[in-house]
Amino acid sequence: MTPAVEFRSVSRHFGVVKAVDQVDLSIAEGAFFAMLGPSGSGKTTCLRLISGFEMPSAGAVRIFGQDMGSVPPNRRHVNTVFQDYALFPHMSVRDNVAYGLMVRGVARRARLARAEEMLALVKLDGFGDRKPAQLSGGQRQRVALARALVGEPRVLLLDEPLGALDLKLREAMQDELKSLQQRLGITFVFVTHDQSEALSMADRIAVFSEGRVAQVGTPSDIYQRPATRFVADFVGSSNVLPPDLTVALGGPRAWASLRPEAIRLVADGRLTGTVTGARYLGAGTRLMVQAGAPPASIGPRADGGPTDAPRYLGQDENGIAVLVPAGVAVPEVGAEVTLDWEPSALHLMAGEA
Amino acid sequence: MRSDGRPPLALTLAAVGGLLFLHLPIVLIFLYAFTTEERSYQFPPPGLTAKWFAVAWNRADIWPPLYLSLRVAAISSAMALVLGTLCAAAMARARFFGRDTVSLLVVLPIALPGIITGMSLRSAFAIGEIPFSTFTIVLGHATFCIVIVYNNAVARFRRLGASMLEASADLGANAFQTFAHVILPNLGSALLAGGMLAFALSFDEVIVTTFTAGQQSTLPIWMLNELVRPRQRPVTNVVAIVVVMATFLPILAAYYLTRGAEETAGGGK
Amino acid sequence: MSAATHPARGPGDRLTGLFWRRPKLLTALLLLPPLLWLGVVYIGSLVALLVQSFYSIDRFSGLVVPEFTLRTYGELLIPSNFDIILRTVTMAAAVTLAAVVLAFPVAYFAARHAKGRWKAVFYLGVMLPLWSSYLVKVYAWKLILAKEGIVTWAAEGIGAGNVLSAVLATPVIGGNSLSTSYIGTFLVFLYVWLPYMILPMQAALERVPASMLEASADLGAGGWRTLRSVILPLALPGVIAGSIFTFSLTLGDYIIPQIIGSSRFFIGQTVFSLQGTAGNIPLAAAFAVVPIVIMLVYLTLARKSGAFDAL
Repeated sequence: MTPAVEFRSVSRHFGVVKAVDQVDLSIAEGAFFAMLGPSGSGKTTCLRLISGFEMPSAGAVRIFGQDMGSVPPNRRHVNTVFQDYALFPHMSVRDNVAYGLMVRGVARRARLARAEEMLALVKLDGFGDRKPAQLSGGQRQRVALARALVGEPRVLLLDEPLGALDLKLREAMQDELKSLQQRLGITFVFVTHDQSEALSMADRIAVFSEGRVAQVGTPSDIYQRPATRFVADFVGSSNVLPPDLTVALGGPRAWASLRPEAIRLVADGRLTGTVTGARYLGAGTRLMVQAGAPPASIGPRADGGPTDAPRYLGQDENGIAVLVPAGVAVPEVGAEVTLDWEPSALHLMAGEA
Repeated sequence: MRSDGRPPLALTLAAVGGLLFLHLPIVLIFLYAFTTEERSYQFPPPGLTAKWFAVAWNRADIWPPLYLSLRVAAISSAMALVLGTLCAAAMARARFFGRDTVSLLVVLPIALPGIITGMSLRSAFAIGEIPFSTFTIVLGHATFCIVIVYNNAVARFRRLGASMLEASADLGANAFQTFAHVILPNLGSALLAGGMLAFALSFDEVIVTTFTAGQQSTLPIWMLNELVRPRQRPVTNVVAIVVVMATFLPILAAYYLTRGAEETAGGGK
Repeated sequence: MSAATHPARGPGDRLTGLFWRRPKLLTALLLLPPLLWLGVVYIGSLVALLVQSFYSIDRFSGLVVPEFTLRTYGELLIPSNFDIILRTVTMAAAVTLAAVVLAFPVAYFAARHAKGRWKAVFYLGVMLPLWSSYLVKVYAWKLILAKEGIVTWAAEGIGAGNVLSAVLATPVIGGNSLSTSYIGTFLVFLYVWLPYMILPMQAALERVPASMLEASADLGAGGWRTLRSVILPLALPGVIAGSIFTFSLTLGDYIIPQIIGSSRFFIGQTVFSLQGTAGNIPLAAAFAVVPIVIMLVYLTLARKSGAFDAL
């Protein structure tokens, strides 16, 4: 099947800055696809390459198999929900929603009727006469959504769609967007820096780092089986273990990740250490454990050179993060603990040579 | 910058005094238009009369300069409107090489003294052997009016932001539809304000005009002649009142058109 | 219609595609008319002015000799001509300094204390005089300063008639009446250009966050200290922007000194009379170059100090 969106070794350079560098990507039709990454990782530029507001310096962007190299944004069958919503302040909500139909020459009566339908779809019936300035942030976002959907785009792009909403509203909108996407069957591509948003909404995620795609996969792929140190750390703050430590903990000589929630406190286990810090998270407590008796291999290196091992022991300086679920007794800071995990929890990262 | 502290009395007095200093002389003009004293500027006026309005109305030499001034102001502000808006649109679109030079070029005609603009045009007409006409006056006026429109438009473009234009294109509008449906409605009041201010500026201009008018007389030039060689002083007062009103109204309108926006019209005369 | 694109309808869509592929093309097209106008009409005229200033006038025939010479510029240094330049620059500096002093309380009050309705009153209170007719304003002062006018009347009314006479008797700046003295010229310049100083100053002061003033007070600085060490430096870009106007406008004005002032010329009057009755366009052009040079130096310095942001 032809992918809805395809990147073929696409680069976008701004002078010497490689905002997007040789990205290959394929987004299947009907997918709810997330582009996840920190700011400056190139995810927004990729979105703008699809909508046409950026042009590739090299490579090709295809939409349903058609090269977009000479198609301006107004002719792409793609619509965008902008981060700041970009509603037209001088038009009523109804005219905002009908705008896409108006510029394509749909008769007034037909387009206004259709706009009302779209407003009903996003549960804003009766708001058509208001001006955008008279709406709340959540309502404005729904208008932006209705306006982008009215032309029945083949692909809907959403730029940090929930970024400006407060937590409660954001969670409600997550569910709503998800069910809307399932109902309409349109391909959704959204950009976010919030990993929990990506994990909960998307069925596929591309993790961006420094202009490149670090990994593409399902949310559980990304979370359980990160391909690189960056992905392991950025998505869910996993413990990243350098090869020496992996060996010391009973694995092969390779970079590995170990989820904090996969580690248990036991009486007799694989590693002992001292609790150096605790952070209460509500649903659990995140402990930092300093390996008390480190295996010889993470001490100073045999050749006398500096060791970089401690830096990769979890996200903090030199400890291993452990998530203690609520209900389990939390040891005090300074206490000695023993840690254990299922051998399968130690995930070897294929993307790190 | 706001403070809840009460301003010191001296500051309040100085500020109010400054405003009064700016306004009292203009108020005085209104008084003098009713004086019965014809030959001098005697204060207080020995008596009051309204006859000068009728005298001014019947003076045939006032009307042609008024018409010329109106025509020049209309043409100049229309040209400035087009040129200033185009320039503002280009500046809002992109950072390009030579941006600073363009912005300097636009401000230069009002940053440099009017006599330079006037003398430059006069030199060019002399070299090119161009005869004086309405067109030569417009040439000068449109040049210094561009910046007025430009300042108003550029501020509004900045407020409009890039994402609104992108949203329009994203929804299928081509460049011309975006201009008609998004840019123009949002820019409209700023352009109207800029156009009216440009009109007021042109209507009132005298320095550049004296270099580019030759033997023609605009209303300000007529007034200037009356100031240098007074004939009926109260008639000049009446014309002055008319000129004050003709410039006040566009300014007030421009102020209300751009009120509430971050920019307000006229800051850059 | 393919799955991924809408068809192009008409020339509007096709041009949009062209502009999209070549974004610089549209920028260039937008810039072309205004740059052409300003480039040809304004810069072209300035060049014509420069060219004229390097010509000279034939002493016997009175005709312009279109040959390059520095003789005309040399004439600027003749004492009687150089006096005119000095007189104008001194007046411009005096007017600018006085405008700073007079504008500060108004700008400060408007920026810091005026709220709501008063904010509008202050704004319009400065804008209306700024935009109201230049000639009318000058004319109003002719009424005020005339020998039989309101100032004399008021001075005599409060028994200060002899003070006024004493001031007018001062050599150089005095004169027969206020309207024929340098004091009069100075007052009118100050009046007419004052709004140009208030507005940029107010804009600069509005950008000073109140928290910064509180921080200064917090650190133990008194009112005057805060004014001198915090407010004035921050208002400086506004002062510079305003002074560009007051200085430049004074340098180039010829109507105010013609109507109110002594018979001694300023640069503007000289330019005007040289190009008109005297018919000496080259010398007029050379005189006109003087304020350009002064203002270009001034603008360069102002640009470096960031004053353009306050315009």
